[in-house]
Amino acid sequence: MAAQLPPPDDPITSRSLARPLLVAGLLLLAVLGWAIYQEEIGLRPWRGYQRRFAQAYAAYLEKRLAERRRAEQQLHASPEYQRLRATVEALRRTTEEQDRRLEQQMNLVEEQRSALLSTFQTARSYVGALTYEYEEIPDTPAYRKEKQERFRRLQQALAEKHRILWPLGNGRTEIRYLNYDQLNAQFNALLEEKARLMEERGRVDQPLKDAEAKLAAFEAQKLPGLSAAQLQGLLERVRNLDLKIRQVYVNPPGRALNYLGGGMIVDRCQSCHLGTDASLVPPGLTLTKADLGMANSHDAPFASHPEPELLRIHPVERFGCATCHGGNGWALDSVRTAHGRYPHWLWPLYYPENFQAGCQTCHSADAYTEFATVLNRGRYLYRVKGCIGCHKYQGFDDQADQLTDVQRLIRELEREKQHNIEEAARLNRLGDQAPDNATAQRYYAQAAALTLRNSQIDTRMDVLDRQAHDLFLEVKRVGPSLKEIRLKLQRDWIPYWLEHTHEFDPNAQMPQFRLQPEEVRAIAAFIWQDALKGPALPHQPAGDPARGRQLLYERGCLACHSVGEGTQRIGGDFAANLSREGEKANYDYLVRWIYNPHLRTAPYCPYEHRDLTPEDYARHGLPFVFDAEHSRCPNDGHELEFEEPTVMPSFRLSWQDARDIASLLMTQKHPNARYAPAPYMDDPKLFAEGRALVRFYGCAGCHEIAGLEDEGRIGTELTTEGSKPLDRLDFGFLLTSAKRGILPDGSRSPRGPWYDLKGFFDAKLRQPNVFDRQRYLPNPRDRLHMPTPALSTEDINALTSFLLGSVDTSTIPPEYLYRPTDARRAIQQGWWIITKYNCIGCHQIGVGQHTVLEALPQYQGENRANLPPILTFEGARVNPDWLKKFLANPALSTTDTNRNGVRTYLQVRMPTFFLSDDEIRILVSFFQALASQPQQFIPPVLKPLTPAEVRMAREIFVSPAAPCLKCHMTGNPAHDRTASAPNFLIARERLQPDWTRRWMIAPASMAPGTAMPSNLFRFENGRWVFNGPLPPDLKNYPGDQVDLLVRYMFQLTPQEQQALAGRTPAGTASRSSR
Amino acid sequence: MKRTAVHLLMAGAVSLLLTGCGKKEAEKPAEQPAAPAPAVNPETAGVITGKVTLSGTPPKMMIIRMGAEPACEKEHKQPVHAEDVVVGTDSALENVVVYIKSGLGNYSYPTPSEPVKLDQIGCMYVPHVVAMMAGQQLEVLNSDPVTHNIHPLPKDNREWNESQPPNSAPIIKEFSRPELSIPVKCNIHPWMKAYICVFNHPYFAVTGTDGTFTIKNVPPGTYTVAAWQEKYGTQETQVTVGAKETKTVDFTFKAQ
Repeated sequence: MAAQLPPPDDPITSRSLARPLLVAGLLLLAVLGWAIYQEEIGLRPWRGYQRRFAQAYAAYLEKRLAERRRAEQQLHASPEYQRLRATVEALRRTTEEQDRRLEQQMNLVEEQRSALLSTFQTARSYVGALTYEYEEIPDTPAYRKEKQERFRRLQQALAEKHRILWPLGNGRTEIRYLNYDQLNAQFNALLEEKARLMEERGRVDQPLKDAEAKLAAFEAQKLPGLSAAQLQGLLERVRNLDLKIRQVYVNPPGRALNYLGGGMIVDRCQSCHLGTDASLVPPGLTLTKADLGMANSHDAPFASHPEPELLRIHPVERFGCATCHGGNGWALDSVRTAHGRYPHWLWPLYYPENFQAGCQTCHSADAYTEFATVLNRGRYLYRVKGCIGCHKYQGFDDQADQLTDVQRLIRELEREKQHNIEEAARLNRLGDQAPDNATAQRYYAQAAALTLRNSQIDTRMDVLDRQAHDLFLEVKRVGPSLKEIRLKLQRDWIPYWLEHTHEFDPNAQMPQFRLQPEEVRAIAAFIWQDALKGPALPHQPAGDPARGRQLLYERGCLACHSVGEGTQRIGGDFAANLSREGEKANYDYLVRWIYNPHLRTAPYCPYEHRDLTPEDYARHGLPFVFDAEHSRCPNDGHELEFEEPTVMPSFRLSWQDARDIASLLMTQKHPNARYAPAPYMDDPKLFAEGRALVRFYGCAGCHEIAGLEDEGRIGTELTTEGSKPLDRLDFGFLLTSAKRGILPDGSRSPRGPWYDLKGFFDAKLRQPNVFDRQRYLPNPRDRLHMPTPALSTEDINALTSFLLGSVDTSTIPPEYLYRPTDARRAIQQGWWIITKYNCIGCHQIGVGQHTVLEALPQYQGENRANLPPILTFEGARVNPDWLKKFLANPALSTTDTNRNGVRTYLQVRMPTFFLSDDEIRILVSFFQALASQPQQFIPPVLKPLTPAEVRMAREIFVSPAAPCLKCHMTGNPAHDRTASAPNFLIARERLQPDWTRRWMIAPASMAPGTAMPSNLFRFENGRWVFNGPLPPDLKNYPGDQVDLLVRYMFQLTPQEQQALAGRTPAGTASRSSR
Repeated sequence: MKRTAVHLLMAGAVSLLLTGCGKKEAEKPAEQPAAPAPAVNPETAGVITGKVTLSGTPPKMMIIRMGAEPACEKEHKQPVHAEDVVVGTDSALENVVVYIKSGLGNYSYPTPSEPVKLDQIGCMYVPHVVAMMAGQQLEVLNSDPVTHNIHPLPKDNREWNESQPPNSAPIIKEFSRPELSIPVKCNIHPWMKAYICVFNHPYFAVTGTDGTFTIKNVPPGTYTVAAWQEKYGTQETQVTVGAKETKTVDFTFKAQ
């Protein structure tokens, strides 16, 4: 075979592949490099974060550790520490000796026990088996022999001697022979001996343990925070930080979390947010970016959780992070994906200003959620700004719906009753004409049954009427009744207000409607003509505006209302600004309103669908009187709407007070304020058009309007608005700019694209018709007609947060929703009433919550003492039965009502809210639950006082060293003028003894800022003793003196009080002018 | 097929580039702790001194009637006046706190170990105005035969309210944050009133009966010096103190 020569153009020889191979090889290498990079950093950015965190945190801990070591050294050098330390050392030495002895004894016992154990156990099993064998044989003659044999074997086993190598200590042993009973006894004796030795050791060690605890307590008190050893431990952990995905995984069986229906929480946020991991940053440590030297970094997600308390209530192990904060808890490959800021992820991370939306998800049944200030504000605005008037939201003000249901039921029952009457009459007639007695009796029986059925209906109707009565007290409307406007307002002001709502009052609760001039005219004319024309109000003489001003500031009006305009505005935003009241109001009406805002010109009969007139009453020979006691319709006997549906309470002012305040308000106007005459208001031709417009714009959602009492809400329900898919929100022609991050006003959105729910809510609340832009809508009725609410940027954010959190909760496992069934339910329910009546305008109720009044200039500095009481512990302070009475009648009197019932010395007045029985019940339960009191109250029985004790208690009260009666009221009018604390005489009925006792010992911890001083008593020899020179009798009193005084107070008679008051120098005014 | 290959190649090239410049700028080392602030050098320090006066007719002070507390009433031979404005001879205004408001550099000031005393004598606070440093101890004494309660009402500091029976040990407290004029009252004797001013430096003084004040050991520099009076508020002025210089600054409040 000849050698074959390669062809002349063989590529193997003629062309080199070195170059392509090199290129390919390099590329392969590059890809490898890329893969390694991606593996290490690109797909795992969290590794970088963890490395950075570990480095910076270790440096921080080192610094802290050095500081701490220095501080500890200093402390250890202090004489107090040395003394405690020496005690510990001395005790340790003495204890050690005894401990060693005890230890030896215990060891010996243990040796003896083990020497005994196996022999004893074998013997016991053997004896047990033989006993069973003996018992098993029936005791009959046939088996007698066998039984005797087995009995003998058992006795033999019991008597058998066992050889035991018995330890005597120090390695010495002796041999003992023990039968079964001796073994048993010895074994039990050893167990007892061991228990005795353990107990003795506990006793011996106790003083040392106590001293050590004292030392530790001293150290903890002088140097709070993490000890050097703890810091060292942390440092070790951080230095050896394992770079790994830190994952929370919760998977309740059969549940769907995170709205995905997938059934679990997988949350890896802590892979980057390492500071929130309690194993790295324990709760005792607060870590900020600045601590890590990254104060100005925008990429340092290492701070510890800013609210450790929230994290304690919602442990990460159970909730994860994204459950509250939004975002994609799975994602790890980039910040953008982990935060869920990409298309089609439906729950992006809430922006920092909205993070409280996350609370609403599970706390949607709350009216007030602790820690969630922004969310609470959102809920507040939802009601106060009248959103609720158009947009239903589950849980918010559904009493009107309940009332409609009750009334519908009443009407149905009335119809049924009427039918029954007619049917019974027919049956009776048939019976009368029946051919035989049996048939007649059948008819009569049927008729009688119907009569009986009607009695049943009556019973049912009574219950419904009572319910209606309560509901009429509970139903409140956001806006004032328009039935009264003819009596209340200046005619020409109304069209101006409709057109220029926010020019008149930039913070008005009423939103600004976008109305055409002819619409304004028609609406104004309709509501004017539709309103009640009489009976006319009594004419009121003029009052004193100067005194009115004083009353306005003193009585607490500013907890809800504001005065002043622009930057001068002070007071609350729960109710209207009063600074232009004089431009619109009618004086006579204003006086009646201030005197009692619940007074109504005419009652409304829901059954007849009309307002009653004096003639209706006259026809039945009744005076035209309607109130809570006269709340039935004279025509049909059903419950009337007998009072104005307003949350404004009565301040129990005199008519003169009301005239003074009204006179002041009538002076509140802009100079030269004048409104164009509006004669068309009386043009009947506008009536029908106006009525149609009023219905179109949904005015009756907030206002009571004659003929439109039963109108429903016209807006979308918003209960689950935060779950709405984005494509169902109409961005109109703004869609493109939203996606590109251009705001409607043309500026750039600071957060980039705003095509999301937050963007929609923000834009809609700022300018509700913004999404109509560029649209061709010649007919005004086709345009978006949601009016513009008067909201600040913060307020818009609060409402947006509220709406973002308003999600569909049907996919969340019920145990994650906050729907408590225990005492916390009473708290949850109570907050709805508290927020409804704005109790928090005056009272601090939640811990850390602020009131409107405390910010007013007249309550600053030392005048803080004039603020209404803090109510956090009200449920523990007062007797709930008393509280019921007080809430119904805060004057605690039916005759002397122009005052406070308890703190008569306070200028600010606890008003009467006309609460329904149910509301009072809920409030009382709320306060009890809030103060951890059981719902059922059993008044404690106090030990009666001996005459000697009465004398001693009285001596403390009147002793010059005891200042009680300097501040507390005594009933002496001259003294009480300068008093600053309640009368002891009502303590018995009002207070609870346990609270009173704690209050006397530590008032400042229960009501920070209180005038009641601490340190009035000191703890001495296991009891509390008055801290001051004691009256002679008391020096030898062995009992607790706080207890003595509490018992005295709770058994105080008016006579005893008089005796007390007589012995104090009263009536001496403290300060008078020269 | 070809296209995929090209993509792969490109990806490879890009990734090469990325590996080159992908490393973000190295994390800056943790910020170094600032060096401890130096103490003021007494060699170069100067003094600010001066007098505070009231122009115009001094307002008439109310007479305090202590009928509610006979034990205290007995203590006073003469009528006791409220101390809102106390004017001595030559219109000298007492109880004015003069202090350096701004301009101090970064110095460390030791907290005085000596406590500041506030006594209660004849149901009046003595002195009426107390100035102290944050962290310094306040020692409240009761020289009266009756029980008092001491109730400071601070805005920035922690509030407390303690009763102090006669012949009892002094109450020792401190305020940890600077705050101008914390009102102090006794709820038992509503006429009793004092003010505590807390500073985070030692450059303050309270004018005495002659209306004068002296602030010592002031490092050279330009300062805003302020004078605070409980009724008339605050006045400010600029002053430059040279090394070892004594500067005089006078304040005049106008009676209203």
